[in-house]
Amino acid sequence: MTDLFVPKILVLATEKCAYPGADAVGKAHQEYPSNVYILRVPSPVLFPEDFYLGCYGKGIDGILIAACGSDCPYHGAYDRLAARIDKLTSRMNASGLDIERIRLTAICTVCIKAFLKEIALMSDNLYRLGPVNRMLAEQLRSESVERLQASSCAPRLVPALQGGL
Amino acid sequence: MRNNDRFGERSHIDDELSGSDVERDEEEQVWLPTGQSADPAQSLRIGVYICRCGGNISDVVDVERVADTVRLIPGVTTAKVHTFVCSDPGQHMISNDILEENLDRVVVASCTPFLHEQTFRGAVARSGMNPYLYEHVNIREQASWAHKHDPEGATAKAIRMIAGAVGKLRYAQPLEQIKLPNHRRALVIGGGIAGMKAATDLAARGIKVLLVETEQKLGGRLNYLGRVYPSESAAAELVTELAQRVQQDPNIEVLLGWKITAVSGFIGNFKVMAEPVDASTSSLPGVHATVGAIIMATGFRPYVPRDGEFLYRSEPCVVTLPEFVQLMRNVSPDAKTLAYKQQKIRNIGFLHCVGSRQLDGVHEPGPDGRLNTYCSRTCCTAILQQALAVRKRFPQIGVFDFHQDIRTYGRGQENYYTDASRAGVVFFRYNGEEPPTVQVTPSSRAKNGALSVVVKDALTWGRELEVDVDMVVLGTGMMPGQIEDLIEQMKLATGDDGFLQEVHPKLRPVEVAVNGVLLAGTAQGPMNISETLAAAGAAAVKAAAMFAREDVELNPYVAEVDQSLCCGEAECVTQCAYEGALKMVEMEVDGELVQRAQVNAGLCVGCGACVAVCPHRAIDLNGWRLDQFEAMVEGIAADIPGRSCESELVTIH
Repeated sequence: MTDLFVPKILVLATEKCAYPGADAVGKAHQEYPSNVYILRVPSPVLFPEDFYLGCYGKGIDGILIAACGSDCPYHGAYDRLAARIDKLTSRMNASGLDIERIRLTAICTVCIKAFLKEIALMSDNLYRLGPVNRMLAEQLRSESVERLQASSCAPRLVPALQGGL
Repeated sequence: MRNNDRFGERSHIDDELSGSDVERDEEEQVWLPTGQSADPAQSLRIGVYICRCGGNISDVVDVERVADTVRLIPGVTTAKVHTFVCSDPGQHMISNDILEENLDRVVVASCTPFLHEQTFRGAVARSGMNPYLYEHVNIREQASWAHKHDPEGATAKAIRMIAGAVGKLRYAQPLEQIKLPNHRRALVIGGGIAGMKAATDLAARGIKVLLVETEQKLGGRLNYLGRVYPSESAAAELVTELAQRVQQDPNIEVLLGWKITAVSGFIGNFKVMAEPVDASTSSLPGVHATVGAIIMATGFRPYVPRDGEFLYRSEPCVVTLPEFVQLMRNVSPDAKTLAYKQQKIRNIGFLHCVGSRQLDGVHEPGPDGRLNTYCSRTCCTAILQQALAVRKRFPQIGVFDFHQDIRTYGRGQENYYTDASRAGVVFFRYNGEEPPTVQVTPSSRAKNGALSVVVKDALTWGRELEVDVDMVVLGTGMMPGQIEDLIEQMKLATGDDGFLQEVHPKLRPVEVAVNGVLLAGTAQGPMNISETLAAAGAAAVKAAAMFAREDVELNPYVAEVDQSLCCGEAECVTQCAYEGALKMVEMEVDGELVQRAQVNAGLCVGCGACVAVCPHRAIDLNGWRLDQFEAMVEGIAADIPGRSCESELVTIH
């Protein structure tokens, strides 16, 4: 069954770097598998943990976060993103979702080789791992949402706290 | 059929995962990505236009099949193919359909959005549709060109990407460009040639300019140059001419010996504060000003070699290129010989790439741990200009040039290389991984101890050569200016090299991610004077174009708080790196005073760092909402109707 499996790879490509980088690959008429879907994003820093887990739940087998790295035009966004992905990866690791299914990398506007290399790497990994466990991912996603909301306080708490201090 | 089991299993999981969210009506071949059954978006009328791009797309992607398939997506009322959607007839077709078929959302699947997204936004806007209800799908650069040998796969991918875009449009809201008042006055930071050029260009268009320079004199680094290539005119004349124009222009206010100490605000509305550089000698109070645009003409600082690098500072006759330029400038017109620190100069060695094109493992990083891996671009021509000047002025002096490459690019510059060769400059070429070394050799004739340059010369098949010289000139390059405070305050991005970074090196070369801030000259990276002037001119034009409007119009891609969902936890505020862009404000809700997050659209850059942390999804990025991304992923991941699982073949009956 594994040999018939075609993984779905989602690339979250930054508008300033990786998306034009992916364009450059096409312009150079370099080929990569058609099961790679590229979404243009301002910065992947906007995605909460549950978004990634939700992607797996929907049947995306691997996610490549193709960011700007140190060329990130937004102040501090790349470091925040890296920290968030770090957290997500350890959570996936602890819960039995293969961490090779996610990868954070920097792709520049002309990084054709780097782009192809990352796709090949992710592709190899996914063929080896097989389809994502969607049920597990979905379960983790709901846990993530619950956790996020558990930290939330009642609306009135903030002013009351300030008054008390 | 072998594969159907797995997909059967998947469908089962689908149902289990999303319960009633997934609806599939196999008989009618209606295809509902999850969650949209009760969505009012079902009443949408979406037009999808697929471009053949004259064969660029349709030679690989079966565009007719794409149209036939996406027509099955609920909400898609029209799906058409055109040879060039971007052409007048193509755009006309869209306009007509919007009016005649009452379309309220439009998708075009064609080339990269960087080419025609604006074109089609304009086209739909002209037909009365909100331009932000338009979605662009890239099936050329990212499908037909990238999957040429996989037409089936490329076709399936095009369908999925369009399904994603349709999903995104379901959650799209009409957006309006953000309008803010525009203060018609520019701040130019730096009074070098870039700053002076930008200031005079702006003033000539009737725009008030505040020019702030830390030195007591206009001209910046040009004050330290002799003649400038390729015109060979005197730098001093260039400075005098421009400085006069600056000082006589009633539109330009110049502050010499002042610096910018605080910057806040946003495009059209920056609040800046200037103070004297030396507060001890000046009793002048700081000045506040409101400006609409800021031009960064802060320049560079020359690389200064470390103590002992090529014997710099340990041997008096090892000097940097700027020091040598000073020496040549000060030579008296009737001098027959060249002397430096009591040393008569008979032979000079010029070393290229000192402090530039540094390699890991070969060079020592600077105090900030950074290697200058870049080429400083101006030193090659500047060195050859000096080498040639020496040979012309003092024909008895031997000149030796040690380079890894000669980069005398650009009009008129290659002549310096040919002229220097003809004038008897001797060239040696080293491999970047084995740079030459400078040594002291005992010699009777030298007062300070003679020097020699040892080089593995690639031009003589790697032979190690030792060249005796009396003076070594280090071709030092450019370093980023020391403007850390401004970078921090204005949240400017810098590249790996430490220079200020533009939004896009080709499409938006003088703009930065912070709207209203423009780059002029070497603040952005090594440039020669001609390039600096071109950049400064471009920055001035960009600023002038911005000032042509009464209001500043910004893309609406900023964060927005849904006040009905916010409960004032301020998680988002902790994530925001842009001061004032997102803050807690007090407001009355149901008769009670509460704290709520609020976005200042003028200060928000739209990075989305705040979005991820909100427990209630109360804050989202307009145009790039989280639910839109989720809908796109659903569109991509959903099964294509009638598809054979093995080949992703699409068959419509």
